[in-house]
Amino acid sequence: MKNTRREIQDRSFTFFSSLSIVLMVGALVIILGPMLRRGFSAVFFQGTVEFRRMQLAQFGHGDEEAVADEVAQVTELRQEIYAILNKFQAGIEPSALIDRVRSINREYGQELRGKNIVGADYTELRRRARDLRDLLQDALESTDRELVEANLKSVLQHRADPLYTDSVMAEMFVTARQYQNVIQGIDLSHREQYLEPLLEVKDQLRKLLGPMPGEQAPLLMEEYGATRWDIALETLHDLLWQEQWVTVEAGQELQKQLVRREESQFAGTSLAPMFGLAEDHLTDLLRPKRTIYWHYFTDDWKEGHFFGGVGPEIYGTLLITLLTMLFAIPFGVISAAFLVECASEHISVKIIRICVNTLAGVPSIVFGLFGMAFFVLFILPNLDRKPQGCILTAAMTLAVLVLPVIIRASEEAIRSVPATYREASLALGAGKFRTFMTVTLPAALPGILTGIILSLSRAAGETAPILFTGAVDMGPVPRSLFEGSRTLATSGYYIAVGDKIGMMAPHKQYGLITTLIVLVLGLNILAILLRSRMSRKLRGQ
Amino acid sequence: MNHPTDISQYRGEKTASVSASAEFNRPLLLTPGEDLRGYLVGHGGRIFLFLMTCISVLSVLLIFIFVIREALPFLREQGLRDSITSRNWYPERAEGAGAEFGMLALFAGSMYVTLASLILSVPIGLSAAVFLSDIAPFWLRQVSKPIIEILAAIPSVAYGFFAILVLAPYMQKYWNFDTGANALNASLILSLMALPTIISVAEDSLSAVGREIREASYGLGATRCETMLKVVMPTAHSGIIAAVILGMMRAIGETMVVWMASGNANQIPTPWWDISQSVRTMTATIAGEMGETSQNSVHWHALFMIGVFLLIFTFGLNMISEYFLARVKKSGGK
Repeated sequence: MKNTRREIQDRSFTFFSSLSIVLMVGALVIILGPMLRRGFSAVFFQGTVEFRRMQLAQFGHGDEEAVADEVAQVTELRQEIYAILNKFQAGIEPSALIDRVRSINREYGQELRGKNIVGADYTELRRRARDLRDLLQDALESTDRELVEANLKSVLQHRADPLYTDSVMAEMFVTARQYQNVIQGIDLSHREQYLEPLLEVKDQLRKLLGPMPGEQAPLLMEEYGATRWDIALETLHDLLWQEQWVTVEAGQELQKQLVRREESQFAGTSLAPMFGLAEDHLTDLLRPKRTIYWHYFTDDWKEGHFFGGVGPEIYGTLLITLLTMLFAIPFGVISAAFLVECASEHISVKIIRICVNTLAGVPSIVFGLFGMAFFVLFILPNLDRKPQGCILTAAMTLAVLVLPVIIRASEEAIRSVPATYREASLALGAGKFRTFMTVTLPAALPGILTGIILSLSRAAGETAPILFTGAVDMGPVPRSLFEGSRTLATSGYYIAVGDKIGMMAPHKQYGLITTLIVLVLGLNILAILLRSRMSRKLRGQ
Repeated sequence: MNHPTDISQYRGEKTASVSASAEFNRPLLLTPGEDLRGYLVGHGGRIFLFLMTCISVLSVLLIFIFVIREALPFLREQGLRDSITSRNWYPERAEGAGAEFGMLALFAGSMYVTLASLILSVPIGLSAAVFLSDIAPFWLRQVSKPIIEILAAIPSVAYGFFAILVLAPYMQKYWNFDTGANALNASLILSLMALPTIISVAEDSLSAVGREIREASYGLGATRCETMLKVVMPTAHSGIIAAVILGMMRAIGETMVVWMASGNANQIPTPWWDISQSVRTMTATIAGEMGETSQNSVHWHALFMIGVFLLIFTFGLNMISEYFLARVKKSGGK
């Protein structure tokens, strides 16, 4: 009995131990999976014609003729949609028509003067025309259907009048006729009701297809419609469906429901067919194409990451990281060499070791404080520079941060070179220095390289130390080492927390952070592969 | 190269072939001058290397000096007592109202997220270490190690990104929390970040426990569970304590994740165990407010004071872990 209990205990112990590993792998998958998947969609996606238009205009990528060709093709279908919309809008908001009627009347006066009709005839004709105009204007302004129809009828009676053939007044009748058609199916008494939904629909249409013909977009981001197919589908959904709070059962809470606009807000109106048209022909309207946006890694962004890529961020990250390595590698490797080759267990060596470990344990934000107090506010003024965070100070701060990483890795690598190598070299008469340079160091080099790559990835991913010592939120691409730069890590923070526009383009947010993760993990995997190859070699396989 | 055919070359005598390699015609005995030079170069080089190595000592000294130097004005003006007993952190009050720099809630915030993350990461980390050192077959270990390394390598800002854009909305939606950015969110992520440190140090110390101890235990008929829990882990306790402390240091010093995920509300949660509320940690306070304060204001110096506290905490913890790791080394894991 007791043994059974012990066995169960043992089994469950094994189970829970293995569970911890599974848990970790699970966490890794949960964290990386969705982020990478959404991040990759910043580069691999279905780009619409709007995307190609934007790329050509903003970044100069793409074939001008092909884009113009495509735009011409989609314009035809888009005109159809805009025509339906304009027609409907004329019935809802007749102010444009009223303006038109008035201007026709004015032009008619000029026409009469041009025909040299003066005196009583002129006054009479003008009076008649003005009567027609007033009738029509009343019809346009009124919401009383009977009055409107009566007025329109009486206006249209004069259509056949020979006075008005070959005259601008003919257009007045055309307008009246149009309006007669437009108001079919519109409940005039509820005209105001349509106004707000119509604005919504127009907004969504703008988001989908870009600004309407003749409109000027106030912001760069509004100059183009949906640049990606997934965004286009989302926008189409907003265009077609409307959220409504409805009573499902009496006495219960209202429930949110989605209803199609053409069946609720615009039921029976002349706008209704537009929704079906947009839904059925969305592919023709936007022409999605599989796109690989390689320029994401070189383009600068426009409008706070709404368009464009992460070119300057990658550039800044690489610049700062490489500079960091330039500072850190000589000191790190020499320190490691000294600790292994020359140092005995002297008290000074113990102090050095404690300091290396302390350095490894200092919180990264304190490195930021130190970098600001020392490099930015103390060293830079002594060099006659403005005390302002720049690439150089950021790199120096990071160099102090990665120093212990390099020292530890190099130390381990140098230590793992078999003593026989050294002894053979010494026995051949080589000095200590020569032995180290020609025998120990080459043998330890792959290990040192692994450490360097690991610290490279650490430096590339650190955010807190460079927040105040050289990273900037936005700004031009740096020209000298004494300017601040954007980096992937800090921009990753700003785009996640501080950037409102970033929230509107989640694929760009995830794309930026994925670039950082891929860069850092790529370096790490490289180091892991290098090390496994090396350990195989040391085992003699 | 001429092949040396003449035996006279080996005697250091001048021969007709000038290009014969110089190493062989050197006299074996050094002159006193050469001897002295060699001695000086050797020791000079050694001293040079020593000085290069001292750069890390120098860095540590500079860090302490410069951070403390910037914090001193705060100590002179505000004193220490108020700042560590009060929880009112109002650094940017208008003139007359008097800015207050009570750091108690900030200490508490750091403690909350650190301890909560340790509650999760210590059991998982230790069982993972046991699994890797004693249970897993060789190939599985080879696979697991890189996974742990990748977990450690993911940049903290990426973790923070995940916390604020994925985990926070999830918590708010499905767990009905008031806010997605809270102490629990930060602790969950921090525990993941502390795991690699805990696992690798603990596994090292478990592996350092000798084979004969395990075999003695098995020989007495103990199961693997009993061997690990009652024999190996008590033997390796120094290393395990060091592992926990190092994990704790990682969690205390972490900035980006807590800044993005902990909500940054300057409060001590009431009731005290409710970690679904927002807290604010020391590191997040520095990161968040340093960019907004003017240089050499009291606020500025106060932030450096927080930095000094952080330095002291981590330095103390580091010393403790050094002590335990040294014990592991001395006893050879026993």
